[in-house]
Parts: sequence; structure tokens; C-alpha cells
Amino acid sequence: MSNNKFKVLVVEDEANICSFIETLLETNGYQALVAHTCSMGLTLFASHNPDLVILDLGLPDRDGLELIRTVRQKYMTPIVVLSARTTEQDKIEALDLGANDYVTKPFGTGELMARVRAALRVNRYSTAGSLPTGTFTAQDLEINYERRKVFVAGQEIKLTQTEYNIVAFLSEHAGRVMTYAAIVRAIWGDTDCGSTKKLQVNMANIRKKLGSRPGSNNYILNELGVGYRMIDEDGDSKPLDLAAEEH
Amino acid sequence: MKGKFPWKDMLVLGGALAAAIAGVAAIQAVSGRIDGVASMVFVLAAFFVSMYTEGYLWGVAASVIGMLAVNFAFRSPYFAFNFTLPENLFSGAVMLVVSIMTSTLTTRVKKQEQLRMESETEKMRANLLRAVSHDLRTPLTSIYGACSTVIENYDSLGREQKLKLLGEVCEDAQWLNRMVENLLSVTRIDSEKVSVKKTPTVLEELIDAVLVKFKKTHPGVNINVELPDDFIVIPMDSMLIRQVLTNLLENAVLHAEGMTKLTLRVFTLGDRAVFEVADNGCGIPKERLRTLFTGTLPSESGADSGKHGMGIGLSVCAAIIKAHGGEIKAESKPGEGTTIRFWLETEEIETEETEDEQ
Repeated sequence: MSNNKFKVLVVEDEANICSFIETLLETNGYQALVAHTCSMGLTLFASHNPDLVILDLGLPDRDGLELIRTVRQKYMTPIVVLSARTTEQDKIEALDLGANDYVTKPFGTGELMARVRAALRVNRYSTAGSLPTGTFTAQDLEINYERRKVFVAGQEIKLTQTEYNIVAFLSEHAGRVMTYAAIVRAIWGDTDCGSTKKLQVNMANIRKKLGSRPGSNNYILNELGVGYRMIDEDGDSKPLDLAAEEH
Repeated sequence: MKGKFPWKDMLVLGGALAAAIAGVAAIQAVSGRIDGVASMVFVLAAFFVSMYTEGYLWGVAASVIGMLAVNFAFRSPYFAFNFTLPENLFSGAVMLVVSIMTSTLTTRVKKQEQLRMESETEKMRANLLRAVSHDLRTPLTSIYGACSTVIENYDSLGREQKLKLLGEVCEDAQWLNRMVENLLSVTRIDSEKVSVKKTPTVLEELIDAVLVKFKKTHPGVNINVELPDDFIVIPMDSMLIRQVLTNLLENAVLHAEGMTKLTLRVFTLGDRAVFEVADNGCGIPKERLRTLFTGTLPSESGADSGKHGMGIGLSVCAAIIKAHGGEIKAESKPGEGTTIRFWLETEEIETEETEDEQ
């Protein structure tokens, strides 16, 4: 494809994992930079200004969370976190610090590439800033931001104000996990503990109205104990060995 | 246990001595004379105390107090200590010996009980470990073999052959991962005392998460899902319960031969949510059914027909459900299918303002 490839910084201490991620990125048309420690990662970040960071949290010198903290002081560069199977709390912490997404180890290569693409795309949207305009489409779901209307397979879905706000908010960050707290803050502006329940109840209604059944027809994916993720425009469920850049 | 003041032992001591004093006083009031009976009653009290308390201290204390009490109150000269009479000293010594011996005995019995418990959990752990290492070695062997075959014969193998070998490596690696997830779950609930950390989880979202993941690993399998329409919230460690449901569904796919229908059903029964995974496969033989959740493999059938054993998966399920305060049961008719059912307690739903403000 084009010559100006996206630069991806991989911060990971396991040599074998690095090696396969590097190969994967390069065969998918990205330029990979590899750092084995947190401090090396920060140095490379400063000198190369990458478009995306893939970050392992368990690094030998310092906690990967610190890298997120340092980077976020100045930059909005998307960060995808690789986490070993840990508690939901760790994921929430990383997301709340400003990580864009996480992938749980062990992960499929397709999954990782999907997250990388989504994170890069999200970044392009958010630089535009302000209210979203135009329409959002993913599979059969269509959102018209100007008319504040939602359609599934051409049929209009009647949502309440709150429900629409939730759906629109998730679609603005499609492909990215939004924590319960982040959604509640965006919709209601407060974070008392009862509001997660309020969100879940609204979510149950939204699912029903969108015609989602557990395990199928999902436009909004569950990250149990963490938050929700709207499917991405090119579809999370797509088999990804055909992963050519397509936008 | 440690560091806490032993109120219970204190109470036993006080109670027994008070009862003894009351008893002796009563006898004295009725019969007038007491000398012979008093020390007997206090020996009995010391015996009780040493039996129902921890360690030696309480029993010895009881006998010393008892001895002094008898000497002081119930022996001539009344209401004065007299350590010169040999019979007083003698009865005191007897009480001391009785209580020390009883304490020794009860302590020993308690220790033995504890040892037995420990060896039982040790045995369970050993069983689990054996099952695990056996189950781990199988996929590792094939991964190792397939990879080195590809590396050593890279040029002579055809594309198809290489893809097939590598595909098997992928499959086995995924299987290993599931195994490790199970083991991690076990460590998460390891000690019996530590119960799981529960967070309210929406039933529908739980089932959705399970099914989405399951469909990724088993795209060809069709599952009938029956859920209640209500909004149900269950306090649970969602990661662990997902593990249970995934294990149950996977077991059905791997082991229920001839299965054409796999059903996942959830319904509420009072304040319980009942989960049911039912297949119409080959069923489980009766003798196997009994040890299904204990993690012990029937010795001869060990490596069952080349398939990865299911022992650990189900024992993990049982441990998880138990840690949640629920129950798991299996029903099976050979030839007709298997149903595995467990329940968890649901959360009280305070019928709050679920409606929108607008």
C-alpha cells in the first residue's frame, strides 16, 4: 500500500511474543518498533512519535501503567494494552488511565489486528472533535446523528432519549471498550454506585429493542465487569486472515 | 482463631466450676456432710473442662482452682486452707493428673482429626495434579512434535501438510490455554475459607459473554438458549461462572457422542437462578457419574479414548459453585443424554425507577 506506513511501538519484554507481533505487524503493512523495557519504550516513543502503542503491563523495570500515565500527559496516541488474565479491576484501571483498549493474553492474531485497526481509526475521529455528524453504520445498524435516529436493517428503532444517548456515545467510540464509569459519566454526569445498575437496565432495554439475542445479533458487545463495546464499522466478527486495510 | 481471646474456653471453665460448686453446695445442704463427694465432683468438672477446651492450660487451671476450692470450702477446717492433711493433697494431685491426661488425650484426638483432613486435601490436590500433568503432556507432545517436524522438514513438506500440522498446533495451544484458565480459577478460590468476590452481574450479559466466546472456539455448534424475560441480577465472580458454563458446554461438545441438540436453559426458582446444560448425547455411565465432580479418574479408563480427560474441568466447576454457596448436580441416562444443573442465589430486585426520566 502507501509508503507512509503507520508506526507501531511494541513494548513487551518476552522476546518470543515480540517476535511474532513484529512479524504480524510487518506483514500487515505497519512499521514496528520494539522496546523491551518501560524506559526504552518511553525513549523510543519520544524519538519516533509512533501512531500507536502496544503495551504489555508486566514489564521488568516499571509497571506498564506508568508508561500510559507519562504518555497521556502530553499525547493522545492510542494505546492497546496486552494483559495476562487478571482481574477486571486491572483492565478498568488501564482504561481509566487512558488506554484505548486491551487484549487478553493469549490472543489470536486476528483479534490483535482488529483492535489495532480500531484504535487507529478511533484516533482519527476524535481529532475531528465536536459532535459527530453524518451516519454510523455497522452491519445492519445505522445511526443518523443529525436526526438522532437509529435503524436496524432499515427499520427505525424507537429509543428513549437516554437509550439513544448511550447508543450514540458507544458508536462514537466504536471498537473500543468504554468502562461503565465512563459511560455513566458521559450520559448522567455522575458516578454514584447505583448508576451502573441504571446503565445495565437501560442496556437490557436497548438490546431488546435492537433485536439482540444472547450470543447473536450483537451490535453492542459485553465486556463483563468492565463495560461495553460497540462493534466496529468493519465488523469485529469478520475472519481476519483476509485482513487487508480497507479504508 | 489465633490472636482472638478464647472466650469459649473461658466460658467452659467458668461454667463447669460454677456447676461443680453449686452441685457440691446443694449436696452439702441436703446431706450435711460433704468431704468425700466434693473432690469427686470437682474431678468431674476438671475432666469436662479439659475435654471441651483447647490445650492443657484450661484443664490444669480447672483442677488447681477445684483443688483449692475443695480445700478451702468443703474440707475441715472449713473456710481455711490446710495443706498439711495428706488426703487433701492427695485428692488435689489426683485431680491434676486426671485433667492433664484428659487434655493430652483430647489434644491428640484433635490433632489426628486435623491430620486426616490435611491428608485428604493433600490427596485431592495430588489427584488433581496427576490429572493435570497427564492432560498437559498430551497437547505439549503434539505441539512439540508438529513444530519440530515443520522446522526439520520445511522444504520437503507440502503446503497442505504444513498447514495441517500448524493448525493442530493452534488447536492444542488453545486447549492448553483452557486448561490453564481452569487451573487459575482453582487458585482463585483455593482455600475453603476465602469465599469468592461477588459482583452483581446481569444474567443476560453473562450468557451473552459465554456464547460469544464459545462461538469463536466452536463455530459449528448450535446452542438452544432459553432465558427468562426478566432483568435478573446475580451476585457472582463472573469470570468463574463463565468458566463453569464454558466447561459444561465444552464437555458436552467433546464427550457427548451422537449429540444433536445442546440446550442452555436458565430459570428462576424462588430466589435461586437455576442453570441447566443439557445434551442428548451418549450419556455417562452410572459408576462414572458418582465421581464426576471429585476429580478422581477411574483408574483403568485413565486416558479415555485419546480424548482429553474431563475430570479436572468438572471438579473445577464443582469447586467454583461450592465457593458461591450453590450446588451442582448431574443427571444422565446412557443413550439419552446428560443434564448438568447448578443454582446460584439471585439478588433481591428492589423495584426501582427503571423508567426513563423523559
